[in-house]
Amino acid sequence: MIHLIVVKRIKPIPFSGFLIPLISLITGLLLSGIILYLSSGISFIDLMATILTAFRSPTVVKDTLILTLVGISLVLAFTGAVWNIGSEGQIHMGMMVSAWTALFSALADIPILAKIVGILLAAILGAFWAFIAGVLRAYAKVDEVPVTLMLNYIAYYILDMLVYGPWRGKRTWGYIRTDEIPKILRFQRILNTTATWEALILVIITGILVWLLLRYTTIGLRIRVLGSNPDILRSAGISVPLTIVMALTLSGLISGIVGSVYFFGDTYRLSYPLEEHTANYGYLGILVAWLSMLDIRAVPVAAYIVSSLRISGTLMQIGGLGGVETMFVFIGSVLLTYSIVRIFSEYSVKIRF
Amino acid sequence: MIDMILEIAPVFITYYLVALGHGFFEKSGVLNLAIDGLFIVAASVAFVGAVYTLNPWVGVLSAAVITALFGVFLAYVTTKFPVSHGAVGLSLMFLGYGIGLIFGIPANFYANSQRIKSADYTFRITPDVEVMMFIIPIIIGFLLLYILNYTKLGASIRAAGENPHAAAALGVDVLRTRLIAGAIGYALIGVGGAFFTLAWRSGWDPKIYLLGYGWLAFAISLSAGRHPLVTAINAGIFATLVKYQYLIQTTTGISTEVAKMLPFIAAIIAMVIFNVTPLRRILAPPASLGKIYYKEEKTV
Amino acid sequence: MTEATAKPTNIFSSPPSPSGIQEKIVEVRNITKRFPGVTALDNVSIDIRKGEVLALLGENGAGKSTLVKILYGIYTPDGGEIIVEGRKVSINDPKDAIGLGIVMVSQSPQLIDSLSVSENIIIGLKRYHVISPVSRVEEYVKKISEEVGIKIDPRVKVWHLSYTQKQLVEILRAILLGARVLLLDEAITYLPLEEKKKFYKFIRRFADQGGSVVLITHKIYEAMDVADRITVLRKGRVVGTVEKASTTIDEIRKMMFGERAKEISYERLPLSTPEEKYVLSIKDLWVRGDFGEFIVRGVNINVKAGEVVGIAGVAGNGQRELIQAIIGLRKVERGKIIFLDKDVTNKGTKHLRKLGVGYIPDIPVKYGVSLDNTIMENLAILPTFANFYIDWGKIKDLAKKLIDEYKIMTPSPATPVKLLSGGNIMKVLVSRELTVARNLLVAYNPTRALDEATAIKVRKIIKEKAMRDKVAVLFASEDLDEVMQLSDRILVINSGKIVGEFTAEEAERGKIEKLMVM
Repeated sequence: MIHLIVVKRIKPIPFSGFLIPLISLITGLLLSGIILYLSSGISFIDLMATILTAFRSPTVVKDTLILTLVGISLVLAFTGAVWNIGSEGQIHMGMMVSAWTALFSALADIPILAKIVGILLAAILGAFWAFIAGVLRAYAKVDEVPVTLMLNYIAYYILDMLVYGPWRGKRTWGYIRTDEIPKILRFQRILNTTATWEALILVIITGILVWLLLRYTTIGLRIRVLGSNPDILRSAGISVPLTIVMALTLSGLISGIVGSVYFFGDTYRLSYPLEEHTANYGYLGILVAWLSMLDIRAVPVAAYIVSSLRISGTLMQIGGLGGVETMFVFIGSVLLTYSIVRIFSEYSVKIRF
Repeated sequence: MIDMILEIAPVFITYYLVALGHGFFEKSGVLNLAIDGLFIVAASVAFVGAVYTLNPWVGVLSAAVITALFGVFLAYVTTKFPVSHGAVGLSLMFLGYGIGLIFGIPANFYANSQRIKSADYTFRITPDVEVMMFIIPIIIGFLLLYILNYTKLGASIRAAGENPHAAAALGVDVLRTRLIAGAIGYALIGVGGAFFTLAWRSGWDPKIYLLGYGWLAFAISLSAGRHPLVTAINAGIFATLVKYQYLIQTTTGISTEVAKMLPFIAAIIAMVIFNVTPLRRILAPPASLGKIYYKEEKTV
Repeated sequence: MTEATAKPTNIFSSPPSPSGIQEKIVEVRNITKRFPGVTALDNVSIDIRKGEVLALLGENGAGKSTLVKILYGIYTPDGGEIIVEGRKVSINDPKDAIGLGIVMVSQSPQLIDSLSVSENIIIGLKRYHVISPVSRVEEYVKKISEEVGIKIDPRVKVWHLSYTQKQLVEILRAILLGARVLLLDEAITYLPLEEKKKFYKFIRRFADQGGSVVLITHKIYEAMDVADRITVLRKGRVVGTVEKASTTIDEIRKMMFGERAKEISYERLPLSTPEEKYVLSIKDLWVRGDFGEFIVRGVNINVKAGEVVGIAGVAGNGQRELIQAIIGLRKVERGKIIFLDKDVTNKGTKHLRKLGVGYIPDIPVKYGVSLDNTIMENLAILPTFANFYIDWGKIKDLAKKLIDEYKIMTPSPATPVKLLSGGNIMKVLVSRELTVARNLLVAYNPTRALDEATAIKVRKIIKEKAMRDKVAVLFASEDLDEVMQLSDRILVINSGKIVGEFTAEEAERGKIEKLMVM
């Protein structure tokens, strides 16, 4: 009988902050490669070639910016051990209210106001959507994972209802979707890329603010300690429920902003059914947050890698679903290897016979 | 009236078996966030198995076996290594979506190209069959209840869920216990998912991963306190809500989308009700659910 | 449940060997075990003989608990071997140990509260296969329990039992598992003498019938009461083994503490002179326990400024919940808490902390500090020290001051607390709380699990704070020695009520223990 015994390391492994995501990525991609080969006959070489192409794809910068923002949102929540799986829904609520501002409100005629108000409202709606889950976790002690996930579905259906009904556009060539927003309402592209200046500015500002929050404010410290040991917060007299709500709400706020960035800078419209048209940024963001080891400074790098993985999925087009199936295999594999590999920085495995 | 109740049967058997298996497994202390992904795996594997052999029972069996393997893997990893149950669970959820789609789509092409109709590989639903689809799962429910409350295995499972360290000190083989709970629980999830394809929907299409029905089963089980028989009641309620979505729409005049939202809103409300009422104390969740298990916890 | 007079049955199939020649049943050779930051066991070898009671004596942190956990399969040694009846064995799991006849009973019962006694027992018995009905074990449990002299209904759910009853069930379980070597890891250390004697009787009988008992303890008198031989561990190494009959308490103290033996004294610390001002008044307090029943039943306590009041009691009599209620972590159902003439009942922990109340919780690594965070972060988290924006410069100065004053051994103020040794973690906690405690310090088991020298230092520091700064101190402890050493006034709690009050001078150990049990 072979016995595997897990023991705590006496000295932690150096450079684990860098080695863990690297090894997770490599083993995760290996696992994906095996699955893709067994199911669709795609050789590992083809897989790697596609991924490398994706690294230089024209849309990778735009995706990286968006995923960086999602990553920041989730790093904030995950630091507090609050598992915000509802970023998808929060993003869509942001998209919804941005669409309203740009297409149906009186502000639609004043571009600069429409955009600013759109972003602000998106932040508020995203924060609200997360707030619901935060309150339910904090005061009713309902696990935030199923709640945020279900709110994702509810968000999809709310938007579906609007787009199918009152928001359906006039110039849509038979598709069920809203009109496109006019050019003056769209975010400004950077040079020849699909990335926008507004997105870049928002990413930088948010990144700095969140980093300062976590390092120099009591709220930030409380969120960090919430993640390492909530019991001591209670002993110190700090309200754990309130801290949970804050962590989730702030995270949702940022995800809401992502919705406005995506709407004003990329899709320019909402298409029915939303759940089939989503770019799945909310779920990809989970991988970004983990690969960056919850360090804000590493998020852009992780975002770049995950963006490339997503794009390579669309390039491979296995099932006619636009790459979603491959994306899930990637996210699942790397997240799986990550969850296992990361324990090796603190633990080692002995083999006994 | 009886017809209306019987027609719920395929929906009921799907939700109930998935929720039952999930709850049984979680009793051993492993948080099971993979449920929706594995639901898709089960539904897709059942489709593949049935379509290539034109025998729905092959579909059910293959779904049960493959899904059970995932369950055993989840139980092994979370018990042997100090990993986060949530992270592994979610990763298996995503993998489940991917694997379900990747194996289901070619089978779908095959079925279309061979002009195989759903009736060729799914269950024929007659009123007799519908009655069995109520009775047999409930019998399984009673069986699981007996195991949990009256046998050594059940005591070991509950011990592992309450406090795996104490259970180990008391002599329980926590790993073996969780592996068994994972195999049984996930086999049930596999069968439930199989019936989704082979009885409820009578077919497969790639978009099923968007439904989130696994999460409804999660909520059904949680709000029933993972009690095998209370789960049946909750499953019945949700099955009615989902099956008669169209009826609810036409009588109340709400749109399709709002009707689609209802089960999820109901699920959230059910979980909240469970947690804020004395239900949570009476049907308490396992105290160590989701806690990382590391044998050598050293204290000051 | 009572202890019926039993006809001693020989539980062992083979009779004990003739006296004088005792065979070894378990040998531990050259065992080494390292944890991050500390070597818990360094080349330790001991042997356990059939038919004897061996005391494994050493202060907290000496490694005795680690050694026993290795024997029970909870920890894996880094080096060395274990030999049972002449054969080398590998113990990877408690069930391996149980299979060899080695069973451990520890200080906090391992029994699972929501399961019944039968269920707790059957899950460890190999001879019942997986689908056995639990009821099958009931008869067996009843039979053996009567033979041993313990009366209990096996269908009762464990959370109904008292601490003493749970420990008795643990012993019963060990016998039912076929134990030949019983490892008692501080299992009876915190029981009052009356209850301890029941266990002494049983231990003696067990050994006389050929079994072996390893009694792990840090209390010398416990070892002297019941052991045949005593092995002393210090800082992870074996100092020596002596026959109880031919040794003295002084010799053992020297073995346990080395040169520091002179520092270790259990003498009562000098009394403080409290002011005539009441800092804390608790009136008719009723608090519920974890299972919904009232566990604090009408408690009245008054503490003056500069006074140290200690609450003695056996675990589970409501003292933990009382302390939690005072610091605002548990709801007060009836009664009032008056702090500095203001009603603070149910006003919450934050309110109290702001008013200058310090808190040393039970299991400090879980409830008092955040191991993954640094010393500085563990200070900044208190609202006393930072309130929206964190001035890390100020925090660093505070940290340095505390490190100096309390002689905390750490590479820097920015070191994660988990890298410090247990004693130093405690110092971080105590120093922080004493800084916060301008008026009152509330504590539960303030020095549990600390090595003697540090424990006595911490008690001295607390006493000084009371004497010098006139801070009121109310603490509860399961360790009667600690209560007697530290308090100016001693209260005894039993079943949620205060059943006795003594000044330090009139306190007599025997009287107090009687009240603890009743």
